Formats: sequence, structure tokens, C-alpha cells
Amino acid sequence: MFTSAAQPPLPAAQTHPRRRRGRDALGGWAMVAPFLILLLVFNLYVFGSGLYLSLTDQQGINAGDFVGLENYRDLLFADEFKAQDLYRAIGTTFLYTLGCLATQVPVAFALAYVLNTIPFRRLRTALRAAFFLPVLINTVVIALLFRMFFNRDQGIVNQLLGALGLPSHVDWLMNSQWALPLLVVVSFWQWTGFHTVYFLAQLQTIDPALYEAARLDGITPFGALLRITLPLMRPAITFVMVTAAIGGLQMFDLVFMLFPNATYGPGGVAKTLVAYIYDQGFSQQFLTGVASAIGWITFLIIAAVSILQLRVLGLGKHGEA
Amino acid sequence: MAVPVAGKRPRRPGRLKRLSPLGLLGVALLSLAGLLYLYPLFWLLDASFRRAVDIFQFPPALFREPLLTALRGYTLESFRHAFGHWHVGWAFGVSVLTTLAGIALTLLVCSLAAYAFAFLEFPGRRALFAAILASMMLPMTTMITPFYRVLRSLGLTNNLLGLIIPYAASAFGVFLLRQYFIKIPRSFMEAAKVEGAGHLRIWWSIILPLSRPALAALAIVQFRAIWNDFLYPMIILRSESLFTLPVRIQVMDSQNFNKPYDAIISAGFITALVPMIAFLVFQRQFIEGLAGGIKE
Repeated sequence: MFTSAAQPPLPAAQTHPRRRRGRDALGGWAMVAPFLILLLVFNLYVFGSGLYLSLTDQQGINAGDFVGLENYRDLLFADEFKAQDLYRAIGTTFLYTLGCLATQVPVAFALAYVLNTIPFRRLRTALRAAFFLPVLINTVVIALLFRMFFNRDQGIVNQLLGALGLPSHVDWLMNSQWALPLLVVVSFWQWTGFHTVYFLAQLQTIDPALYEAARLDGITPFGALLRITLPLMRPAITFVMVTAAIGGLQMFDLVFMLFPNATYGPGGVAKTLVAYIYDQGFSQQFLTGVASAIGWITFLIIAAVSILQLRVLGLGKHGEA
Repeated sequence: MAVPVAGKRPRRPGRLKRLSPLGLLGVALLSLAGLLYLYPLFWLLDASFRRAVDIFQFPPALFREPLLTALRGYTLESFRHAFGHWHVGWAFGVSVLTTLAGIALTLLVCSLAAYAFAFLEFPGRRALFAAILASMMLPMTTMITPFYRVLRSLGLTNNLLGLIIPYAASAFGVFLLRQYFIKIPRSFMEAAKVEGAGHLRIWWSIILPLSRPALAALAIVQFRAIWNDFLYPMIILRSESLFTLPVRIQVMDSQNFNKPYDAIISAGFITALVPMIAFLVFQRQFIEGLAGGIKE
């Protein structure tokens, strides 16, 4: 991919500006080099060596043997237990991501829209800050906080429900039906304000004269929302959907910490793909080869989802050369 | 023609009037929602100053007792427990050190590369920049196993350098800085060039000082990312003396008997407090940095 790095700079030149270019070429590559080396080692090489590892039966520190596609075969259909775990993890991860997108994006958009209409600048900034704050907080801390809130006996959720005379003995954390909804709720609290900031930034770039013109043309505010705001917001919506999906599909910290003792929910119902990688690769048996294969499967899934989203939503006029 | 600028100009007099009573009610409700939204953080603040036995009381003392009595119940016991028994102070120092070093290295490495992409013509520049942009989308968490192997073969596992160096490979950082650099008028550089200054010199003494806002924005993005990172430090570090705050909290939480809730809560409070203070001070840079990917 980067073979041009090894090629000599363009043939040295006759004219003055040309010579300057030759010097620029050396300087350019030299200045990019530190970053490029880090990127090659810690990103691209990591992906490459992951692909290689996924074709071996490496376990722990033993250098394993090359086994071809065996890990993939086992995971996808041959090994009953592994396949079951994989498909369950895929299902969990997708449901969680869908739940996050379906709740966070519309609410964040509505919130940004409403915030944008508040005529008091300070209040607007303060509210934006309030909804944004959870984004700054470590997921480990957030997960532990909510684990305490959802505790059956001492948690504030049940205490509040009890105070309102509602059923207050649900064991939220130990009930497998609640595992995914809980994760979606916590993620909602953590991330909605983050998306709101993007939407608000984009809303503020829309020329108010457009709305004025629409009003004079007799278009209702709702019509203006549909015909002016939404089309102009498409780049931001696409961006938020794609990044939120990429983040959601890689979820780990939250599920690892929300349920006690790294159980990933009662009976492991909420084990996500990255949690499955961690489980295989870093606890108990250290199945490096298998974990790497799950990693590559996850990577391909995420890439496919991102490409699909970009196809369907379109990039709009986002990005410049 | 008789009513041209009515809506735009006179903002001062009637801001309140532009809201209908219904709108005003909406604003009030939204403000209330904003306050309620932060309740978990109020709870964290309050609980970290309570004695272990009082943490889970409902309703919390603040809502149950007269304010003065409730405030008198505050104590530093849980912090003493966290710092004395669980070495949270040491973990705090490790977190601060790795975060600062990671930010510094990122700014250095990314601004050098961004300079080249903004101002220098070199073969392969466009393709390389496009490839770097594409690498921003790579989901690195899927590669924790090979990442660990690569770090181990470089001797960077159980080593704070392994927690610092990889962060500098920030494609977003190169992108953010390059977008800022290209807006700097070339005339600033021409004078220096005439005087014979080289690129390194121009980068250091002209471009960097002019780019403080962009550097600050990138520093903040990295600050949030490194300070809050959990999975990488957890898989890389073995020795307790190298644990960062989130890893330390996880270790405290993995205690099955007598889980030290008070120490966990106060350590969590410290972990959450640092970025919140930074946010209140640098709110504009935070928003700009995080919204940077979408600005153009």
C-alpha cells in the first residue's frame, strides 16, 4: 500500500521551482515518517498480524502451527459451541447497536433542534454542557454507578419505584431479559449529549434567511424542518450514525463492568463480540488464534455495516479535498 | 419593502417575548430535565464524601435531613480508604503521567506530519493522506490480540511506554491539524523562507504558535481518550504499580468479599472529576475538537 515510500523522489529537475520540489519531497517524507511508522506498526501491521494469527492455533506464549481457515470454520459452523457463542455475540452486538442508534439519534436530533431555538445563549450553552458531561466520564465509572442504581435491594431505581407504589423488586441485573435494555439505557445516558453537540454545530451553520424565505412562501415550521433542516443536516446525521454504529459494534467496557465479575449479564446473555474476543484471548485459555479470528470477523462486520450505511445514507456534501 | 429587516435586527429588546408562554414552559421543563440528567453525577459527588454505611441510604441524607445536618455528615473517610489501602493516589499519578506524555507525543508527531501534508509537495502525498483518513475508521478494539502480541514483541507490555506511544498514531490528529494549517496565509512563511529558515524551523517557530487553538483541540480529544481508556491498559499492564485509575478501580471492584464500595466511589469520583474540571475550563476547545471531524 505504501510502497511509494521506498521509491526515490521524482527525477531531479532542471528549473528552479522543480528543484525546490525535490527538496520538499525529502523533507515531506521525513516529516511524515514518525507518524507513518507509528501508524504502520500500531495499526496496519497489527491488522496484518491479526490475520496471520487467526490462521494459526496459537495459544498463550506457544508459537502455534499454521492451520489455515480452521478457526474460521470452527467459529462459523464446525464447532457447535464456538459457533453458538459467535452467533449469539453477533446478535447481542447488533441488537445493542440498533437499540443505541434508534434511541440516541432521534432524541439527540430533537434535543439539538430544541436547544437551537432557545433564545438565551447562556442557558443554551449550559444545557448543552449538562447533556454533554456524561461523555467525559470513564465508562468504568458510569457502569459501576448504574450497577449500584439498578441494585435490587439498595439501588435508587427500585427505591424510587417503591416510593411511587410500583413493583420494586425486579432484580434488573440478574434478569436476562433486562440485560440488553439496561445497556441501551446506560449508553443513552452516556452518548446522547455527544451526538447533540454535532447536530447543534451543524444546525448553527444553516442560514436563518432560508427559514425566513420559507416562511414568506407560506411553508409551515414543520415543512421547513422536513424540506430545509433535514436535507442540510444529512452530513451530520450520516456522520453520527456511522460513528455511533462503529462505536456500538465495538462495545466492551460497559458490559464488562456493568455486570459483576465479568459475567456479561446473567448466563453471559450480553456478551458482545469484543467481549468474546477478550474472553477467548485474555482469560483462562489464552486462545490467541481463535480470538484473532473473531477479531477479523468483527472487523469485517463493522466494515460491511459502515459501507452499507454510507451507501444508504449518502455522504452529502461532507468532506473536502 | 416596507417590512424588510423586522425579524433580524432588533434582538436586544424582545428575547423573552419571542417565546410564547408555551415555549417558556418548554424551556423551563428542558432546564429541569438538564438538571435531572446530571443526577447520577450529583449522587457520585455526594456519595464519595459519605461514610461507607451511609452510601446506599434512600433517600440520600441531602433530601432527608435538614441541609446543615446533612452537610455535617460529610467525611473524607472513603478517600482515606482509597488512598491509604488501595493506592489510588499512585494510580492517579500514573494516569496523569501517561495522559500528559501521550498528549505531548501526539501533538509532536501529528503536527510534523500535518505540516508536510499542508505545505510540502511530495510524491504520493494525496494517496497517503487518503489512506490515513481511511485508517481513522479502523476499529482497533477488534485487534486487541495482535495488538498485544505486537507490543510484547517490542517489549512494550507491562511498560508505560506501551500506553503512551500507540496513542500518537492518531490519524484524526493529522487531519484536524492539517485542516487548520492550510488556512494559515502563506505570506507568514514566505518571509521566513527568504531568510533561509528550513521547514523544521518554520514548523516550530511560525506554524505551531499560530495554531494554538487547533493544538488545544487535539490535546483535549486525546486527553479524553487516554484518560478514559480501559481495555488497552487492562491487557497491557501486569504490575500493580503501573495500573492506571480505571484499571485500579476494576481491581477494587473484582474484590468479592467486602467490596470496598466507599473507596470505589471516591476513586470513581476523582476519575470523573478531572475531565469535568477540564471541560468547564476549556469548554470551547472541547466542543471544537470533538466536532472537528464534521466542521468542513
